[in-house]
Amino acid sequence: MKLEDCKLGGTHLKSSDFEKCKILTTEWKPNLGYAWDDGVAIGRYLAELKEGKIIARVCHECRRIMLPPRMFCELCFRPTDEWAYVQDTGVVNTFSIARVNWDASRRGPNEPPLIPAVIEIDGATKGMGILHMLAEVGPDDVKIGMKVRAVWKKPEDRTGAITDILYFKPIRAAASKKAAAGKKR
Amino acid sequence: MAITERMTKTTTPTYWEGEIPVRYVYTFGLAGEKFFRAIMEKGTFLATRCDACDVTFLPPKIYCDRCFEALDTFVDVGTVGHVDTFTVTFKNMDGSDKERPRILAMVRIDGTDGGIIHYLEGISIEDVALGLPVKAIFKPKAQRKGGIEDIIGFGPID
Repeated sequence: MKLEDCKLGGTHLKSSDFEKCKILTTEWKPNLGYAWDDGVAIGRYLAELKEGKIIARVCHECRRIMLPPRMFCELCFRPTDEWAYVQDTGVVNTFSIARVNWDASRRGPNEPPLIPAVIEIDGATKGMGILHMLAEVGPDDVKIGMKVRAVWKKPEDRTGAITDILYFKPIRAAASKKAAAGKKR
Repeated sequence: MAITERMTKTTTPTYWEGEIPVRYVYTFGLAGEKFFRAIMEKGTFLATRCDACDVTFLPPKIYCDRCFEALDTFVDVGTVGHVDTFTVTFKNMDGSDKERPRILAMVRIDGTDGGIIHYLEGISIEDVALGLPVKAIFKPKAQRKGGIEDIIGFGPID
């Protein structure tokens, strides 16, 4: 059923009614700036991102290594016990292919689709991970279980934000061998 | 269970700043459209009247909120009213000081049961009083855009 055929109340307006100023309108942009106290756990997590490291929190009761870190274990109902660095590699848990931007505008014909993904980070308990973007992989090639690695901003450009990681890219077979050799920090 | 970590420096707590980008375009509705067009084109106020309930709505409504009857007759009620309540504001919305104090008033429009909240202009804080007769001051016609800002405020009747 077309919208025009619906016997609804109200007055239908078209985009052109606004564009050609056929109707009167008033516009406003509320100031919705906020400052959110990031707390002990996320504060440290963001500070470590600035150093190019990913940090998690460990609960000795359930032995989970939790990422993002939190000061309280929601399963054991007790404070978590210690910090633990985890890798900047991981496995794709889920992903989505987005052909629109965050503000719902269409991505241009020359812009590749965005691939947001939940990435289970190596070193954290299975299923623990973060939401980030995948790149250097096409929408046809991305797969659940794919191994990926963080691509960081240059140290001087990092601000202590999740965007200090630009995106995660697939670890190719040859590259992963090289990475394994170089991992002995 | 004890506190596991204690912050010892006041610089330790950090925060995350963000902004929620929200913008809206509000349409005035059927009655509001007529109301603001009358302000823009004629420099006067329109109201709707329910004879059954003996109520004159300003700003106008397209139905009577007492008997739910549709109201489609718009009447020109002029621009004269009197101060119903007022307050004096010294600060802007962001908390900064205003250049000069402004008086905000609920102005009851004569011959109606409604009114308009707007600034009082040309009336000093010493002279403002409840019941003070006032008249709408409009921007020059060329500058009017169809909105509440087409009214500069309410001033004294000379």
